[in-house]
Amino acid sequence: MNDLLIRGDLMPPSIGAEGPAGEKQGGEKNFSTVLRDAVADINKFQLNAEEAIAKVQLDNTTSIHEAVIALEKADISFRAMMQVRNKILEAYQEIMRMQV
Amino acid sequence: MDFLTSFKICSSGLATQRARMEVAASNLANVETTRTPEGGPYRKKTVVLSSEPVPDGFNTAFKDAVKMVKIAAIVEEKNVKMAHDPSHPDADAKGFVAKPDINPVLEMTEMIAAGRSYEACVTAFDATKSMALKTLEMGR
Repeated sequence: MNDLLIRGDLMPPSIGAEGPAGEKQGGEKNFSTVLRDAVADINKFQLNAEEAIAKVQLDNTTSIHEAVIALEKADISFRAMMQVRNKILEAYQEIMRMQV
Repeated sequence: MDFLTSFKICSSGLATQRARMEVAASNLANVETTRTPEGGPYRKKTVVLSSEPVPDGFNTAFKDAVKMVKIAAIVEEKNVKMAHDPSHPDADAKGFVAKPDINPVLEMTEMIAAGRSYEACVTAFDATKSMALKTLEMGR
Protein backbone atom coordinates (compact mmCIF):
# COMPACT_ATOMS: atom_id res chain seq x y z
CA MET A 1 0.00 0.00 0.00
CA ASN A 2 2.88 2.27 0.73
CA ASP A 3 3.67 2.33 -2.93
CA LEU A 4 0.34 3.94 -3.73
CA LEU A 5 0.89 6.80 -1.37
CA ILE A 6 1.72 9.98 -3.11
CA ARG A 7 4.80 11.33 -1.55
CA GLY A 8 5.64 14.95 -1.51
CA ASP A 9 3.12 17.71 -1.60
CA LEU A 10 0.57 18.19 -4.32
CA MET A 11 0.77 21.88 -4.12
CA PRO A 12 2.48 23.60 -6.98
CA PRO A 13 5.98 24.70 -6.13
CA SER A 14 5.05 28.36 -6.36
CA ILE A 15 2.68 28.12 -3.38
CA GLY A 16 5.39 26.64 -1.16
CA ALA A 17 7.78 29.33 -2.25
CA GLU A 18 5.30 32.12 -1.80
CA GLY A 19 6.52 33.17 1.65
CA PRO A 20 9.97 34.44 0.71
CA ALA A 21 8.95 35.24 -2.89
CA GLY A 22 6.02 37.36 -1.72
CA GLU A 23 8.23 39.30 0.63
CA LYS A 24 10.76 39.75 -2.12
CA GLN A 25 8.13 41.10 -4.46
CA GLY A 26 7.31 43.88 -2.03
CA GLY A 27 10.88 45.14 -2.23
CA GLU A 28 11.25 44.82 -6.00
CA LYS A 29 9.19 46.53 -8.64
CA ASN A 30 6.01 44.64 -9.46
CA PHE A 31 4.67 44.30 -12.95
CA SER A 32 2.22 47.21 -12.88
CA THR A 33 4.96 49.61 -11.71
CA VAL A 34 7.26 48.45 -14.49
CA LEU A 35 4.48 48.87 -17.03
CA ARG A 36 3.59 52.32 -15.72
CA ASP A 37 7.26 53.39 -15.89
CA ALA A 38 7.50 52.09 -19.45
CA VAL A 39 4.40 54.01 -20.49
CA ALA A 40 5.78 57.15 -18.82
CA ASP A 41 9.09 56.74 -20.71
CA ILE A 42 7.24 56.35 -24.02
CA ASN A 43 5.15 59.39 -23.23
CA LYS A 44 8.38 61.29 -22.65
CA PHE A 45 9.62 60.26 -26.09
CA GLN A 46 6.36 61.48 -27.63
CA LEU A 47 6.66 64.82 -25.82
CA ASN A 48 10.29 65.17 -26.93
CA ALA A 49 9.26 64.57 -30.53
CA GLU A 50 6.51 67.17 -30.24
CA GLU A 51 8.95 69.66 -28.74
CA ALA A 52 11.50 69.00 -31.50
CA ILE A 53 8.89 69.61 -34.20
CA ALA A 54 7.78 72.81 -32.49
CA LYS A 55 11.41 73.97 -32.33
CA VAL A 56 11.89 73.34 -36.04
CA GLN A 57 8.59 74.89 -37.10
CA LEU A 58 8.41 77.87 -34.75
CA ASP A 59 11.88 78.93 -33.62
CA ASN A 60 13.99 77.19 -36.27
CA THR A 61 16.50 76.30 -33.53
CA THR A 62 16.81 72.54 -34.07
CA SER A 63 17.87 70.93 -37.33
CA ILE A 64 15.28 68.81 -39.11
CA HIS A 65 17.16 65.56 -38.77
CA GLU A 66 17.00 65.84 -34.98
CA ALA A 67 13.24 66.29 -35.17
CA VAL A 68 12.89 63.30 -37.50
CA ILE A 69 15.06 61.16 -35.22
CA ALA A 70 12.98 62.18 -32.20
CA LEU A 71 9.86 61.18 -34.16
CA GLU A 72 11.35 57.81 -35.07
CA LYS A 73 12.33 57.18 -31.45
CA ALA A 74 8.76 57.92 -30.38
CA ASP A 75 7.38 55.73 -33.18
CA ILE A 76 9.52 52.67 -32.41
CA SER A 77 9.06 52.87 -28.64
CA PHE A 78 5.30 53.23 -29.13
CA ARG A 79 5.21 50.20 -31.42
CA ALA A 80 7.20 48.21 -28.85
CA MET A 81 4.69 49.19 -26.17
CA MET A 82 1.78 48.19 -28.44
CA GLN A 83 3.43 44.81 -28.88
CA VAL A 84 3.59 44.32 -25.11
CA ARG A 85 -0.03 45.41 -24.78
CA ASN A 86 -1.11 42.96 -27.52
CA LYS A 87 0.64 40.11 -25.72
CA ILE A 88 -1.00 40.99 -22.41
CA LEU A 89 -4.45 41.17 -24.01
CA GLU A 90 -3.85 37.89 -25.80
CA ALA A 91 -2.96 36.18 -22.51
CA TYR A 92 -6.00 37.71 -20.81
CA GLN A 93 -8.35 36.53 -23.55
CA GLU A 94 -6.79 33.08 -23.43
CA ILE A 95 -7.63 32.92 -19.74
CA MET A 96 -11.18 34.17 -20.34
CA ARG A 97 -11.75 31.44 -22.93
CA MET A 98 -10.72 28.76 -20.43
CA GLN A 99 -13.34 26.00 -19.91
CA VAL A 100 -14.53 25.80 -16.32
CA MET B 1 16.75 51.18 -25.43
CA ASP B 2 19.70 49.73 -27.27
CA PHE B 3 18.92 50.96 -30.76
CA LEU B 4 19.16 54.54 -29.49
CA THR B 5 22.98 54.32 -29.55
CA SER B 6 22.92 53.84 -33.29
CA PHE B 7 20.45 56.72 -33.62
CA LYS B 8 22.78 59.01 -31.69
CA ILE B 9 25.73 58.09 -33.90
CA CYS B 10 23.66 58.63 -37.07
CA SER B 11 22.47 61.96 -35.69
CA SER B 12 26.03 63.17 -35.08
CA GLY B 13 26.99 62.06 -38.60
CA LEU B 14 24.05 63.93 -40.12
CA ALA B 15 24.90 67.09 -38.17
CA THR B 16 28.57 67.09 -39.17
CA GLN B 17 27.93 66.30 -42.84
CA ARG B 18 25.39 69.09 -42.96
CA ALA B 19 28.01 71.42 -41.48
CA ARG B 20 30.50 70.34 -44.16
CA MET B 21 27.90 71.12 -46.79
CA GLU B 22 27.30 74.56 -45.25
CA VAL B 23 31.01 75.34 -45.21
CA ALA B 24 31.40 74.21 -48.83
CA ALA B 25 28.44 76.37 -49.83
CA SER B 26 29.96 79.32 -47.96
CA ASN B 27 33.29 78.83 -49.77
CA LEU B 28 31.54 78.63 -53.13
CA ALA B 29 29.42 81.70 -52.45
CA ASN B 30 32.46 83.74 -51.40
CA VAL B 31 34.75 82.67 -54.21
CA GLU B 32 35.16 86.29 -55.34
CA THR B 33 34.73 88.08 -52.01
CA THR B 34 37.42 90.69 -51.45
CA ARG B 35 36.04 92.42 -48.37
CA THR B 36 35.20 90.96 -44.94
CA PRO B 37 34.41 92.56 -41.57
CA GLU B 38 37.83 91.31 -40.33
CA GLY B 39 39.52 93.00 -43.27
CA GLY B 40 41.12 91.45 -46.33
CA PRO B 41 39.54 88.87 -48.62
CA TYR B 42 37.42 85.94 -47.51
CA ARG B 43 39.53 83.02 -46.30
CA LYS B 44 38.69 79.50 -47.44
CA LYS B 45 37.34 77.40 -44.56
CA THR B 46 37.96 73.71 -43.95
CA VAL B 47 36.09 71.49 -41.49
CA VAL B 48 38.18 69.24 -39.23
CA LEU B 49 36.33 66.27 -37.75
CA SER B 50 37.14 64.22 -34.67
CA SER B 51 35.54 61.19 -33.06
CA GLU B 52 34.13 61.24 -29.56
CA PRO B 53 32.77 58.49 -27.30
CA VAL B 54 29.03 57.84 -27.21
CA PRO B 55 27.49 58.91 -23.87
CA ASP B 56 26.17 55.88 -21.94
CA GLY B 57 25.75 53.89 -25.11
CA PHE B 58 26.47 50.48 -26.55
CA ASN B 59 27.53 47.39 -24.68
CA THR B 60 29.48 48.39 -21.56
CA ALA B 61 32.26 45.86 -22.29
CA PHE B 62 32.94 47.38 -25.72
CA LYS B 63 32.11 50.94 -24.82
CA ASP B 64 35.15 52.39 -26.59
CA ALA B 65 34.50 50.50 -29.81
CA VAL B 66 31.88 52.87 -31.21
CA LYS B 67 32.38 56.60 -31.59
CA MET B 68 30.27 59.55 -32.55
CA VAL B 69 31.67 62.26 -34.82
CA LYS B 70 31.92 65.94 -34.05
CA ILE B 71 33.44 69.06 -35.54
CA ALA B 72 36.83 69.64 -33.92
CA ALA B 73 37.54 72.96 -35.64
CA ILE B 74 36.90 75.05 -38.70
CA VAL B 75 40.29 76.10 -39.99
CA GLU B 76 40.83 79.17 -42.15
CA GLU B 77 43.19 79.08 -45.09
CA LYS B 78 46.10 81.55 -44.66
CA ASN B 79 46.98 82.00 -48.33
CA VAL B 80 45.24 84.41 -50.63
CA LYS B 81 45.36 84.49 -54.41
CA MET B 82 46.79 87.65 -55.97
CA ALA B 83 45.08 88.50 -59.23
CA HIS B 84 46.11 91.32 -61.53
CA ASP B 85 43.08 93.55 -62.00
CA PRO B 86 43.97 97.28 -61.80
CA SER B 87 40.36 98.39 -62.41
CA HIS B 88 39.15 96.64 -59.26
CA PRO B 89 38.31 99.05 -56.36
CA ASP B 90 40.28 96.85 -53.92
CA ALA B 91 43.41 96.70 -56.08
CA ASP B 92 46.69 97.72 -54.43
CA ALA B 93 49.23 100.19 -55.84
CA LYS B 94 50.63 97.58 -58.25
CA GLY B 95 47.16 96.66 -59.49
CA PHE B 96 46.88 93.33 -57.67
CA VAL B 97 43.70 92.22 -55.87
CA ALA B 98 43.81 89.73 -52.99
CA LYS B 99 41.16 87.08 -53.72
CA PRO B 100 40.22 83.97 -51.72
CA ASP B 101 42.30 80.91 -52.62
CA ILE B 102 39.29 78.77 -53.45
CA ASN B 103 39.09 76.15 -56.17
CA PRO B 104 35.40 75.84 -57.14
CA VAL B 105 35.93 72.34 -58.54
CA LEU B 106 37.35 71.10 -55.23
CA GLU B 107 34.46 72.74 -53.38
CA MET B 108 31.97 70.98 -55.65
CA THR B 109 33.57 67.60 -54.97
CA GLU B 110 33.56 68.41 -51.25
CA MET B 111 29.84 69.16 -51.54
CA ILE B 112 29.17 65.88 -53.36
CA ALA B 113 31.19 63.96 -50.77
CA ALA B 114 29.29 65.60 -47.91
CA GLY B 115 25.97 64.84 -49.63
CA ARG B 116 26.89 61.20 -50.17
CA SER B 117 28.05 60.81 -46.56
CA TYR B 118 24.78 62.35 -45.39
CA GLU B 119 22.85 59.86 -47.52
CA ALA B 120 24.93 57.03 -46.07
CA CYS B 121 24.02 58.17 -42.54
CA VAL B 122 20.34 58.28 -43.50
CA THR B 123 20.61 54.75 -44.91
CA ALA B 124 22.28 53.53 -41.71
CA PHE B 125 19.48 55.15 -39.73
CA ASP B 126 16.81 53.47 -41.89
CA ALA B 127 18.54 50.11 -41.55
CA THR B 128 18.59 50.49 -37.76
CA LYS B 129 14.94 51.39 -37.74
CA SER B 130 13.90 48.43 -39.89
CA MET B 131 16.01 46.19 -37.62
CA ALA B 132 14.13 47.46 -34.57
CA LEU B 133 10.77 47.00 -36.32
CA LYS B 134 11.74 43.49 -37.47
CA THR B 135 12.45 42.62 -33.84
CA LEU B 136 8.88 43.58 -32.97
CA GLU B 137 7.60 41.18 -35.62
CA MET B 138 9.44 38.31 -33.96
CA GLY B 139 7.20 35.40 -32.90
CA ARG B 140 4.16 36.68 -34.71
